[in-house]
Amino acid sequence: MTATADPALAADALRERRFFLSLSLPALFIVGLAAILPILWIIRQSFLTTGGEYTFGNYEKVLSSGLTWSALVTTLELSLATLAICILLGTPLALALASARPRVANVLMAFVMLPLWTSILVRTYGWLVLLRRDGLINAALTGSGLTAEPLPLVYNFTGTLIGMVHYMLPLFLLPVYAAMRDIDANLIRASSSMGASLGQVIRTVILPLSAGGIFSGSTIVFIYTIGFFITPAVLGGGKVNPLSTRIERTLSTFQDWGSASVLGILLLIVMAMIGVMFLAARRLSTRNGAAHA
Amino acid sequence: MSWLRISLTAFAVSAALPVYAQTVTITTAGGDYGNAMKEAMWAPAAKELGYDVREETLSDGLAALKMQVTSGAVTTDVIHLGSPEGAQAAAQSLLEPLDYKIIDPKAVPAGAKSDYCYPFDSYGTVLSWNTKTYGENPPKTWAEFWDVAKFPGRRALRANAQDSIEIALLSDGVAPADVYPVLSTPEGLDRAIKRLEAIKPNVAVWWTSGAQSAQLLKDGEADLVVTWNGRAQTVKADGGAADYTFKGSVIGTDCLAVPKGAPNKEAAMKLIAAMTQPARVAKLTDFIAYGPVNPAGYEGGLIPEDRLKTLATAPENAGTSVFSNSEWWVKNGEAAQKAFDEMMAR
Repeated sequence: MTATADPALAADALRERRFFLSLSLPALFIVGLAAILPILWIIRQSFLTTGGEYTFGNYEKVLSSGLTWSALVTTLELSLATLAICILLGTPLALALASARPRVANVLMAFVMLPLWTSILVRTYGWLVLLRRDGLINAALTGSGLTAEPLPLVYNFTGTLIGMVHYMLPLFLLPVYAAMRDIDANLIRASSSMGASLGQVIRTVILPLSAGGIFSGSTIVFIYTIGFFITPAVLGGGKVNPLSTRIERTLSTFQDWGSASVLGILLLIVMAMIGVMFLAARRLSTRNGAAHA
Repeated sequence: MSWLRISLTAFAVSAALPVYAQTVTITTAGGDYGNAMKEAMWAPAAKELGYDVREETLSDGLAALKMQVTSGAVTTDVIHLGSPEGAQAAAQSLLEPLDYKIIDPKAVPAGAKSDYCYPFDSYGTVLSWNTKTYGENPPKTWAEFWDVAKFPGRRALRANAQDSIEIALLSDGVAPADVYPVLSTPEGLDRAIKRLEAIKPNVAVWWTSGAQSAQLLKDGEADLVVTWNGRAQTVKADGGAADYTFKGSVIGTDCLAVPKGAPNKEAAMKLIAAMTQPARVAKLTDFIAYGPVNPAGYEGGLIPEDRLKTLATAPENAGTSVFSNSEWWVKNGEAAQKAFDEMMAR
């Protein structure tokens, strides 16, 4: 930078940086108010008894309870299963969208986005109508003689998973689609002209170059699903109880703000750990991807 | 000059009001229920006592009560609570003890009695079934509800220890009067939880809201549903293939209490006594299907014969049912719920 050689210009640059920083203050203020303050409040709450005295009792109680750990296992099972299905369904779909002609891609994209604009409550209850015993799917299955008995599609893990995948798929798709669309078409043409089969093109060119998008999508899916509440509560039939329902139970039945806060912090830590893991994995994979390209 | 005139006018107006009229403030949940209580209970009682009763409506009575009492600014004299909330409020010293010289303690069954919150109406947690599945021969007792060999079908229970553990013990042959004594022993709670665990493989849904339980019954998603009588009655009245029985129901009550430090304590006690007279709690059923707790409300044809069938506390149902014991729940609720949740997670 030659500008820094001149002290007057350097002062100008500094002033400019300060000005830009001051522009971001309202946003920082809102983030501080809406995100950081409540978290600090929850941390404080987690160390208080119902009488308002300081204690470690809430941590002891929550961390020594088998219910907490079984809820954590359910949470991770749900998130991992949702993520796996999103990758399996979403990646080929993104590939199809990215390689379709623009008009077709737009129409397909509208179908993908439509559910994203519908309230999650409406969609969850919609699934209830489709999946229940006398719902559309079971009526079609038993009516056509494919199955003798209605399948248990809802009020269990399966139903919860269907609802969660439906919600998360568009959010996974968008970054993957964006990454795939940004791939230079010349690279694909070049690899084909060098004799690569379609499978080879996908494996060695497209997937490595869209790995960043896949990781972004996966991070979004995992972090979102860790805190999912409505879907397991409505479609789980009381049998699927992740940490979010554990928190609700602790608050509504026991009015135990201390323990609920500990559970909230646990959720936050799990989220942070997974976020860091994904970021690390992403850095690693994009470096490899770049080497391939 | 004008200020003086206004003050004088104000003085004249306030002097013209009947200063002897006792003012009492009552806090209800509002809505249809609040209106029903006004029409049937407190408005006639206020007229009889010559009180000027003001009504406030709140959806979360316990939270409001706690705020008023802890801040020392109590504005309400009588408050309407669910009995478990009443017991919780009493445990937190938010209520005045009921004045049993003014209010008749013997007018309610012993199982429902409370020293702080006077129960006046009731609802039942009942056994309901799909009439298409069972036709003329449905299970009618909790023991039969548990009998999956004789009555195959999908069950739905509430995802909560409350009422479920009482029902579990009834199904295991415990007499209604012994339910809480048994539950109060360490083995008693275990026994109830084991019983629930036994039925668990046949439970299709553990529901979390009353509306959901009604939906399960109506859609035939479950063949046997533990639900509240109002919900079952609505499904039945809407033409759903459903019926229910009050036999063995767990009865919950709503109650009236006086906040600690209420401005008109004695008048509040008198209002509670007057508004819970048998004729008035019987009249409440004209508006809403919550039956009197006071057995006298069912006497002398105060309630039409055909309506009796829809009320949890009707005399023909007495003896088989259990009054949910709020004090027991305040004391043991957390342990019971934990045991229940652990059973669910197994």
